[in-house]
Amino acid sequence: MKQIIDKWGKSIGIYLFLMILFPFVMPDEYYRSVGIIIGLQAIVTIGLCLVMGLAGQISLGQASFWGIGAYTSAVLTTKYGLPPFVGLIAAAVVPGLFAFILGRAIAGLQGYYLAMATLAFGYIVQIGITEWESVTGGANGMISIPQMTFFGGSELSMYFLIWGVVTCVLLFSLNLLNSRVGRAFRAIHKSEIAATSMGIDVRKFKLNAFVVSGMFAGISGGLYAHYMGILDPQPFGLHESIKFLTMVVIGGMTSIWGALIGTILIGFISEGLILLGEVVPGLQGDVDTIVFGAILVLIIMFMPEGLVPRIRAAFEKGQAKKAKAMADDAQRKQQVERKAAT
Amino acid sequence: MTTLLDVQKLSRDFGGVRAVNQVDFQVREGEILALIGPNGAGKSTVLNMVSGVIPPSEGEIRFSNQPLTRVQGYEYAGLGITRTFQNLQTFDDMTVLENVMVGMHTQTSASLFSCGMNLAKSRKEEKMMQEQAQTWIENVGLAEEASLLAGSLPYGKLRLMEIARAMVAKPRLLLLDEPAAGLNHTETAEMSRMFCEIRDNGTAILLVEHDMDMIMMIADRIVVLDQGSKIAEGTPREIQENPRVIAAYLGAE
Repeated sequence: MKQIIDKWGKSIGIYLFLMILFPFVMPDEYYRSVGIIIGLQAIVTIGLCLVMGLAGQISLGQASFWGIGAYTSAVLTTKYGLPPFVGLIAAAVVPGLFAFILGRAIAGLQGYYLAMATLAFGYIVQIGITEWESVTGGANGMISIPQMTFFGGSELSMYFLIWGVVTCVLLFSLNLLNSRVGRAFRAIHKSEIAATSMGIDVRKFKLNAFVVSGMFAGISGGLYAHYMGILDPQPFGLHESIKFLTMVVIGGMTSIWGALIGTILIGFISEGLILLGEVVPGLQGDVDTIVFGAILVLIIMFMPEGLVPRIRAAFEKGQAKKAKAMADDAQRKQQVERKAAT
Repeated sequence: MTTLLDVQKLSRDFGGVRAVNQVDFQVREGEILALIGPNGAGKSTVLNMVSGVIPPSEGEIRFSNQPLTRVQGYEYAGLGITRTFQNLQTFDDMTVLENVMVGMHTQTSASLFSCGMNLAKSRKEEKMMQEQAQTWIENVGLAEEASLLAGSLPYGKLRLMEIARAMVAKPRLLLLDEPAAGLNHTETAEMSRMFCEIRDNGTAILLVEHDMDMIMMIADRIVVLDQGSKIAEGTPREIQENPRVIAAYLGAE
């Protein structure tokens, strides 16, 4: 904990401040629910960031782990009467198992092939959910999923429950980033040969990253199911997977903070588009897909490293400039003094 | 002296081309063995096989009497074989300290869960890694650059960083692929001194290098390859006077 506070104390402080402040400056229930959805998405994207940005693998199937988590918890609580708490644990474990099996199967794949395999997995899961009517309710979905009764279950208490989970996931990932495991992920991303020569079992660590990301997505899915109270297969498809991907890429794949900021940004843009759609006729429906697609293309063309690393680099450059200016100043002063002395 | 690395009839084909042909040699405990030869002689290919990057087509490699045939690439470091790379393989978006800490992977064992939760084990190992990495960073003379991103360092310093990264794993055999390439005279001399120190502290070195000054100065023995085959073996003096070696280098018949 101390290390990440040394390194990111300021960022964590700002994050906590804004996170706690948000529901009070936005007392409207609607915006609190927007905040909740963004939080749920952030849990997924932080996990996706571990896989993509750190371990360097692409996943186009993250929404399916989300869906598996959502349906696991929904089915266990609705059909078998288990408490949501147990459902949520299963919502982490079951997608983790799926990720493990999928990860094992596609361990040797890279680049396009990996993208194709995860894409196919995403489709299979969505079709599976839709067709397994006896359990999932098919395309009609499920209703009356038990809600969580966390501090009365109001919108505000749900907001803090979910952002509490986001905070845990964030801290876990930041810790991981600065540990032997996180460095192993990053090493694999840069050079598998060098990582191997240092004793890192590349396959094992890639699989680990994949499983953790699946579990994060699953937890988020379980929370989503209990928050919404209803489920249908529609949100767990490619559309959502690409949205997750866009969030991670915008913020900057190699940065956990980037994933968080990318998610919040896309969440706000989504809301902005909805507001705009009310004013401008014709700006309704799937406009957001077009906008996100365009953003993704622009980012990849002009800022492939993403927002957060770009801003950080600019900041560090500014600091270096300042330091240099100060050093130059001091030198000049010294020269003047020396001159005066002679 | 006991044999640390025993290479027997080692061959490697790329497509139809035989890059390395029936090469035998031994590295003994506590020596620097140089592997030299003209361009394309197969030196780097031998090094890649000895470090488990590519499998041999034929032949056997034994490390302290254990055959490496079924050993996975990532297990070499744990056995005590680490290496540097001719075309640098550095982690540019990590600091020098972090790069070297990656080298300590096999010395640590905290699980993903332990690391994410920052449990006592992970914290303890982290501290240990930092200290030992720092020691090696100082040994190679990069103390001032420890907190800089590797991507911002010049070539020569990255070579030193790779050596620190390989040495921090406490190897019994260090494989060096052209460590002096691109360095100036002073840097090469400095590096030579460091290699002798490493050897004297008990790590054997297998060195692939073009810089003859360095080789003649520090190698205990030399193996010469030409067009994939071994053409000579001996002390630096013997090799300098060997007519086949001279012919291979000058291209004479």
